Amino acid sequence: MKISNCKVGNRQLAVGSKKRTLRCLLPTAYCLLLLCQSIAFAQTKRVVILKVDGLQPDIVDSFVRERDPQTGMSLLPWIEHVFYERGTRVENFYVRGMSLSAPSWSMLDTGQHLQIKGNVEFDRLTLHAYDYLNFSPFYMRNIAGLSIDMPGTETLDEAGLPLLIDAYAPQERFASFQLYQRGMHWRTFQSAAENRFLKSPRELLDEWTTGFEVRNTLSDQLERDLIERLNNPAYRYLDLYILDFDHAAHHNRDRETHLHVLQALDATVGRVWTAIQKSPLASDTALVIVSDHGFNTDEKVYSQGFNLVKLLGSAEGGGHHVITKRRLMMDYAIKGVNPFVPLITTTTPESYYLKGQSTDYPTALVDFDGNERSSIHLRDSDLNVLHILLQQLQRKDLSVEMRRAMMDAFFKTLDRRRAEWGDKLSQLNEELSALHREIAKEHDALKALEEKKRPKDNSDSIDPNDVKRLVARYNASVDNERKYSEYARSLSNLLALRRDTFDPRRIKIEDVIAKGAMGVRNNIYELQNYVVGLASVGPTLAADGSLDLQRSFQHVDYFSLLHNVAVRNNVQAEVSSHPINFIAVRIPSELIAPLVEKDLRPTSDVVWIYDGQENQALILSREDEAGHLSLRYLPIKNLREDENGSIHFERVGWRALLPLKLFEDPQLNVPEGARISWLDDWHTDLEWLRATHKTEYSNGIIGLNEQLARHHNEAFDTDVPGLSDDERKLRRFHRRRRELVEADMLVVANNHWNFDVRGFNPGGNHGSFLRISTHSTLMFAGGERTGIPRGQVVEEPYDSLSFMPTVLALTGQIKNGQVPVKILWERGFRQFPGPVIKEVLSGGGEKASPVAEGVAIAP
Amino acid sequence: MRSASSFKSARLAALLLTLLLTFSSLPQSVSFAQSCATTAENPSEVTEKTKQLFRLERLNLAGGAELLTIFGTAIPFLYSRVRDKRSAGNDAPPPIMDLAAADREVWNRFLWTGLQYLLLDSYGIPLKASTHTFRQNLSDYRKAHVARALALLSLYESETGTQSVFTPAETAEIQARLLLSDKMFGGIVDDINFQKVYEKQTTAVRDTRGHNWELLRQRAEKESLYFEPLEMPDGSATHALLWVARPDLEKNQGRHFDSRFLNIQNPWTDNRLPDWKGYTITRYFDADNRVVAPDTTGAHAVEMIPLALYGLDFPKIPILLVDFRDQLNPKRREMSHRVLQDVARDLLSLSSFANIPYFFGRVVYDFVTSRRGLDLNQMSRLRTYSQLKLLLGLSASFDPELRDDISRRLERVSLNPLENGMETEAKLAREQYGALVAYARRPDGLPARIERDRREEMVSIKHGSVERPLLRLANVLSFGIYTHREKATPELLSQLDIKRQLDFHAGFLRRVVKSTPQIEVVWNIEDVRRSLRFIAEHGSAADDKIASTSAQVFARTEDEETRKLCLNSLYRINNETAKKELLNIYRDAKLEARWREQSAEYLRLAIKEEQRIAPEDAKVILSLVNENQ
Repeated sequence: MKISNCKVGNRQLAVGSKKRTLRCLLPTAYCLLLLCQSIAFAQTKRVVILKVDGLQPDIVDSFVRERDPQTGMSLLPWIEHVFYERGTRVENFYVRGMSLSAPSWSMLDTGQHLQIKGNVEFDRLTLHAYDYLNFSPFYMRNIAGLSIDMPGTETLDEAGLPLLIDAYAPQERFASFQLYQRGMHWRTFQSAAENRFLKSPRELLDEWTTGFEVRNTLSDQLERDLIERLNNPAYRYLDLYILDFDHAAHHNRDRETHLHVLQALDATVGRVWTAIQKSPLASDTALVIVSDHGFNTDEKVYSQGFNLVKLLGSAEGGGHHVITKRRLMMDYAIKGVNPFVPLITTTTPESYYLKGQSTDYPTALVDFDGNERSSIHLRDSDLNVLHILLQQLQRKDLSVEMRRAMMDAFFKTLDRRRAEWGDKLSQLNEELSALHREIAKEHDALKALEEKKRPKDNSDSIDPNDVKRLVARYNASVDNERKYSEYARSLSNLLALRRDTFDPRRIKIEDVIAKGAMGVRNNIYELQNYVVGLASVGPTLAADGSLDLQRSFQHVDYFSLLHNVAVRNNVQAEVSSHPINFIAVRIPSELIAPLVEKDLRPTSDVVWIYDGQENQALILSREDEAGHLSLRYLPIKNLREDENGSIHFERVGWRALLPLKLFEDPQLNVPEGARISWLDDWHTDLEWLRATHKTEYSNGIIGLNEQLARHHNEAFDTDVPGLSDDERKLRRFHRRRRELVEADMLVVANNHWNFDVRGFNPGGNHGSFLRISTHSTLMFAGGERTGIPRGQVVEEPYDSLSFMPTVLALTGQIKNGQVPVKILWERGFRQFPGPVIKEVLSGGGEKASPVAEGVAIAP
Repeated sequence: MRSASSFKSARLAALLLTLLLTFSSLPQSVSFAQSCATTAENPSEVTEKTKQLFRLERLNLAGGAELLTIFGTAIPFLYSRVRDKRSAGNDAPPPIMDLAAADREVWNRFLWTGLQYLLLDSYGIPLKASTHTFRQNLSDYRKAHVARALALLSLYESETGTQSVFTPAETAEIQARLLLSDKMFGGIVDDINFQKVYEKQTTAVRDTRGHNWELLRQRAEKESLYFEPLEMPDGSATHALLWVARPDLEKNQGRHFDSRFLNIQNPWTDNRLPDWKGYTITRYFDADNRVVAPDTTGAHAVEMIPLALYGLDFPKIPILLVDFRDQLNPKRREMSHRVLQDVARDLLSLSSFANIPYFFGRVVYDFVTSRRGLDLNQMSRLRTYSQLKLLLGLSASFDPELRDDISRRLERVSLNPLENGMETEAKLAREQYGALVAYARRPDGLPARIERDRREEMVSIKHGSVERPLLRLANVLSFGIYTHREKATPELLSQLDIKRQLDFHAGFLRRVVKSTPQIEVVWNIEDVRRSLRFIAEHGSAADDKIASTSAQVFARTEDEETRKLCLNSLYRINNETAKKELLNIYRDAKLEARWREQSAEYLRLAIKEEQRIAPEDAKVILSLVNENQ
């Protein structure tokens, strides 16, 4: 009984205790519920994203507000109906970094800082071109089984950055054809062709007469595929990439063309929205429209092109043979029909010392995509010096004095770089050894997979795409090993040269100066005193018998050369006669830190902006212990670097015409009367964004830092504990490969200028830091249970880094506003640096419940 | 939305749209983009002047028709002869396009092509060559006027700023019909495509223009020449001039010149230029190389010599129209394509269809010349040449001396003997307009023509789908001498009126249905209801297509009243398709019960009224009626 009583007593005690606990917990829970209601995430089970390349929100907005005189409705009625009336618009959404598709989509699709810095990137040592925009080679490689993902996806995989679609299992997602595409669905082509051509004879005749619209065949089919899949509740992520506006706005500046293409987009919004409403998950589905950049297009102005390739090929530009990944005047070349676009070499007849050697020794790489900017790589100026001296030393007619002086100059130059190049070479060799071992492992892994694929095994467990991915990685590794080894061999030969055994006539130049390699990035001194050839007077001896390096060589200061370019035909009042606005270069923080006061000292990379000798600025950056970025704008002039690597500049006060024109901009949002003091201070990126986003250059200060600074990436971190030696070296190798695509200079065009030389883009362009180009579209709308507020306009500015965490937050896949849930963490997702757009989530609703497969098991 | 009746009158007027190009010498405001005069002008003054360029005249005619004439500086442009005549005569000018019977053009073209190949070509080279050439010239002359009509219609639309007499759909139709006039099957393209054709063409033309503008500017810059866009009154640059600065001749003497795309001789080695006696002009530039007024501080004067004039509307390349140093240069280039074509076809009797080596050779040659943008073997300069005439006609900012010089040189480019000089064209235009107005007012003139056309239109009411093609064949085979017409009775007139209105409403609803998955989001639902009401009221005259369209409207709206009207229309349209659609709605289990019940009710009534129903559908409906009784 006792026991029993005790039991009863215990039970009663327990019940009493539970009741007390409940009494305490209920109010607490109620309070917590009340407290959390405002931050509780609503339940979005499915997300549909319309990724519209280049959709400029101001153009959209003006058409949405304009009424069609025939119907009295908006000119873009569906966008108004869905996003203006039933959704939330982020009115001030910006690209962070350059307003350029490949970098911008990479940030939108990963939510992480930039690793991809251009539509095309060149590896300085191997001339490998990462062409992120060209679909045709990808299709061919895919057919051949050499690639399963687009090049951008492969690069991000190497950088360990998962994409938004990776948050969903393959069977839960439908992704259209896009820059960061995973896998390939060939059936789409077949269905597209069927839908295009299997029509009634009358319709076909009409289409033939009015012209077949082949261009939309694929995109129409992808839209049909997406709509069809909306009926299947298993699909939790669907996207549609739409290029039409970007294409039209590059070509046409006129209102009618923009309207026609936007009305086609509007109709797509209508069809997708209607299909969502009819689908089983209608009330749980969010529809998002997002663009990667804005567009600098003006009905009254033709965008004017300037040919940087020709400038670099000219004598005054250095007589460079220039490599591009876009064929110049493509539409006017027979070879322009080749969709695979190999590296294009533009040979110059004005080369100072490499005439007829353009394919072996190009000395400049130019990426001009996006068109309002261009990235320029120049061959290491000292390699030019060595190359020229070797050529001279192989002559038979040199005087003894001159030969000796040249040989001294050769070894002086080589010895000056020997330690730096030697270090890089030994590191590269270590990495190549590790890579070699990795290749062997990959080979074994592939062999094992092949075994598994044999019929007796259960091959169902192997995703064929994963196998193809491994094959692609293996092939890339083999290719990398070969190409970098070739470069390493040449550099090794060069460094092996010794004065005492040196016989220039027995040396083949290509054995010591690698063909098709730019070498190490030039520093500012080299760019200001770049050696392009022998001076017209020829090699000259100084009084002491040494070679007079200054007088013997032809030098170019690329900053002043580019800045001073002017045109004679200036027929549009709105367009400057100077095509180039400014040039930006990254400077390691350690070079600047000693030159400024303690409170100005940067801890991370500095960006130098050159807008002439008098108008320059440094963008200093530092991160606090939590990794929060702060930036400081320092107005300067006359920056130069001396031969010893020391930087010199003069500080100037705030005034008009400084780069980015912040001081004089009436839209600068800082406390009244405190303009200078505000500008003369450190601010977080968010503070800068709030203050500058409506200025002419908008978030340019943040964008330049994002574009040019190096950002920490866990996949490249060699200090992570537990890594094997090879893993560490491979991480360093991957980091090196990303660093090797960094250009010497970023050249930014003036308003309404562009650098497109593949063809002509008179309609408009993007790529710059001008607000019109960085201002992008982001709008959300959803069913009742998504909690997305209706008719809301978010005025708080946000940038690209906020997109991914916001979408994940909508679907409950993120914790504490920044950290992905466990299952995503395991898939490689990491803390997001950008804030969630909380206004989109403010609609209340149910508690977060992650929707991706497997998320439910995460704690 | 315009009412059906006003559309009818506009359409009647459009029946006879032909064109007359104005080559007025009256002052106008088309400007040089660089000219000082333009930059100094007040924008509002420019707009006012531009408005004065165009005037619309409406002339009410007997029989309810209306003649709309758009005048450029008090001269009508929409009418013109398409034959070579020094005097316009008293007859009305023949239409270049009959919008009400565009399909007739297709059959005529077929007939003439057949006649040419089967009959005329077999009578030896002289007849073969001359007939081919005559037809080509006639076609080119017509195309030239179509091009001018298109340009002027666009200018009128954009520049008058007044409410257009045409709805956007009508504008699109006129423009699209004109654009498709040179396509083999252009006359029978479904109306639903007009908007798309118009949009596509507008985009393509502006793309080409911008592209060529930029190509020419860059080439001029590269060769140290001066580029000057020439603009129409709406600000669109359709042509451009290249100049060389006299001081540069000495500075750049002997310099290499890349003539690609420019297609003119090297000015730096041309001994004629230093002693140039032709037209020159002195321009003033500021430090930023902008053209400024002579009294601007810091402005420096530069004497300029014109080198060439280019058309920017030509596909892919700016096309040379005037070479100020070599008058025959553009003509030779223009002839290259024609000569190749004529020699191969008429002399060598080579055909791409019959001779495979010739076919491949031609494909490769055309590909290379087109791809490289060579100004050889390109399509004709007709369109851009025609527009330049318009530009010269509308421009006041041209220095008269330069204008006359260009006009004179331009005449030499034309290969077409049917083409008249600018002054002659203007004179003909005036005469033709007078003749047209007289014709329109004469009882046996335009009113009688309209009457005949109406009677011809009535054929579709009186005759079925088997008879109509036979009557058309008879018309074609008799070269239009025989045309079947009905006797106009008040009943037929009334039926014709209803038919036209039904066509209008059906066309409108087809556009509505095609445009959106949910109608009320995009369209004013009252307009849709009005069309459905009309269809319901005149259901007996509606056809299968209208029935299908009404059913599609039902599927694409959630508006109560519109849905009711759709069902009502389907009930009142007495044909098998309408009842099938009603039956489909009844069978759709996803629909709310009330819509299905309403459909069932209408089907019961249809059975009772013995409407036309397909036998298999009738069985289903009868079982349905029996079930519910």
